[in-house]
Amino acid sequence: MATDALSLSTPAVAPDGALGWPARRKVQSSAGMAASRAMGGSNRETAGQAQERLQAREVENDLIREAQAGSRSAFDALVRQYEHQVLRLALHLTGSEHDAEDIYQEAFLKAYRYIGNFRFECSFYTWIYRIVTNLCLDQLRRRKTRREDHAVVLDRAGDEIDLLAAVSDNRSFSNPARELDRKVLAGKIQEALAKLTPRERMVFELKHYQGLRLRTIGEMLSTTEETAKNTLFRATKKLRAQLAEMR
Amino acid sequence: MNCELAQERIVTAAYSELADELIHELDRHLAACAPCQSEREQVLALRLLANANPVVDPAPNLVARARLRLDEALDALPPRRWYERWSQKLKNNVAGLQRAPVVALLLLAAGAGAGALGGYQFAQGRAAHAAATQTVAASTTTEQPSAAAATLANVASVSAIVRQPNSEIVDVSYNQVVPRQIRGSLDDPQIRQLLMVAAENSASAGVHDDSVGLLAAECRAGHSCQPSGIRDALMTALRHDKSAAVRQKALEGLEPYVAQDVRVRNAVLEALLNDSDPRIRTAAISLLAPVEADTSVRQVLYSVSNSDDNPQIRNVSRQVLSRVPEIQ
Repeated sequence: MATDALSLSTPAVAPDGALGWPARRKVQSSAGMAASRAMGGSNRETAGQAQERLQAREVENDLIREAQAGSRSAFDALVRQYEHQVLRLALHLTGSEHDAEDIYQEAFLKAYRYIGNFRFECSFYTWIYRIVTNLCLDQLRRRKTRREDHAVVLDRAGDEIDLLAAVSDNRSFSNPARELDRKVLAGKIQEALAKLTPRERMVFELKHYQGLRLRTIGEMLSTTEETAKNTLFRATKKLRAQLAEMR
Repeated sequence: MNCELAQERIVTAAYSELADELIHELDRHLAACAPCQSEREQVLALRLLANANPVVDPAPNLVARARLRLDEALDALPPRRWYERWSQKLKNNVAGLQRAPVVALLLLAAGAGAGALGGYQFAQGRAAHAAATQTVAASTTTEQPSAAAATLANVASVSAIVRQPNSEIVDVSYNQVVPRQIRGSLDDPQIRQLLMVAAENSASAGVHDDSVGLLAAECRAGHSCQPSGIRDALMTALRHDKSAAVRQKALEGLEPYVAQDVRVRNAVLEALLNDSDPRIRTAAISLLAPVEADTSVRQVLYSVSNSDDNPQIRNVSRQVLSRVPEIQ
């Protein structure tokens, strides 16, 4: 079977470090940060980025305050800022355009209704994601209860849509046969993901696909970073067990 | 590091969540542990495998449709009222304090401190004022301040207030009522004096009744019943007391003196003419019957027998008048 090419026993990832860990993107130890600060060039760049981030945050905070004061246009601006991320997460989690649209609608209506409760203790990004993840969790739980199996993504009319077709494949092994195998593989992965608990599914989604930090995931799911880490560990273990049958 | 911990850290390292110093420690373990190396390879393979189910950007149509639907829903919502926004702000402020217990505690402590300080200063001011007053009172009554404070509850009246020039010091003269008790014979002058005070001034109806009854009994018994003392008290009671029972007792007490004391006789005649109770007026007629040599008695009896509204009193008066020769 073509999927053997991606057998779990054969790591196909090019090692980044001495023993093959992925490149570190966000997490740094205190020692690493100190070393980074010691380097003049990167330090200046980081300071500039931080300055830009602070300015963007300030602009966003102004929008939030205006929205809290009742400005519809300010709220619309916030919606434009986050709608793609919300739809992307909901679509990938639920596999259904219809459900994603419902989650989008309900999430922003809730945000509009309760934006007065936002007290600038976390980023608006975390806050809106918390709303979306809760709605997605509810959706996943309902789906678990109904024992539905959405291995394919459906559009609003209920027709299957090919997500993979929308992704450009620049890998060296890309060819029609491999493409077919990849689609089959994607279906298998969706099946395996569907067998996780909603919470495990959510943590894996936010970590693996959305690239969020475990601390942020903990905040979004109203739990601790340690719990999020343990949930991720369980999710990967289950997925490996599910996908190992493909060998 | 054991394998279980290493396997947990393999996952966190695969997702770039492991600190540098822990990565080195994990690498040392992996270099010496084949099963954990295999575990690492499988986790990294899973990372790659999961990418076969990629995240795709939502189609523009989907975004436009969702945005349109949201706009319609937001347009349908009623605008928030000003008081809703205010109550929301208030809730946020309260919630902010709840989430900042240190600040809330400091505010509470500051409030309590300010209250205690204000209360202390107010109490000091009042204490100084009270001390000044008590000093003056002590100088006139030669009592200790605490004793003076205790006896102030029994002050009957304040008789004079004199302020010292250019100061807050005042001289207050007051009358004190001290509850006391005395025991003795009804013939004891002090007891009689107290009974007469009770008969004239007591605010208690029971005490008033008892005192008049005792004094009247003393007079009827022939004990010392001085004209200027007990008799005056009984005549006052007969004329002015509101209680018919008390007036009746006073009348009975005066009976022995109707014949010999003109003042008593006049008091009885007044009762005969003016008392509101027919029984007292009838009793007054019977008391006057043996009186001799007093034309005023005859005139009163004659007047009553002709014009009194009460037929019984008219009859009794006529009966007494029928024995006119006996009345002088």
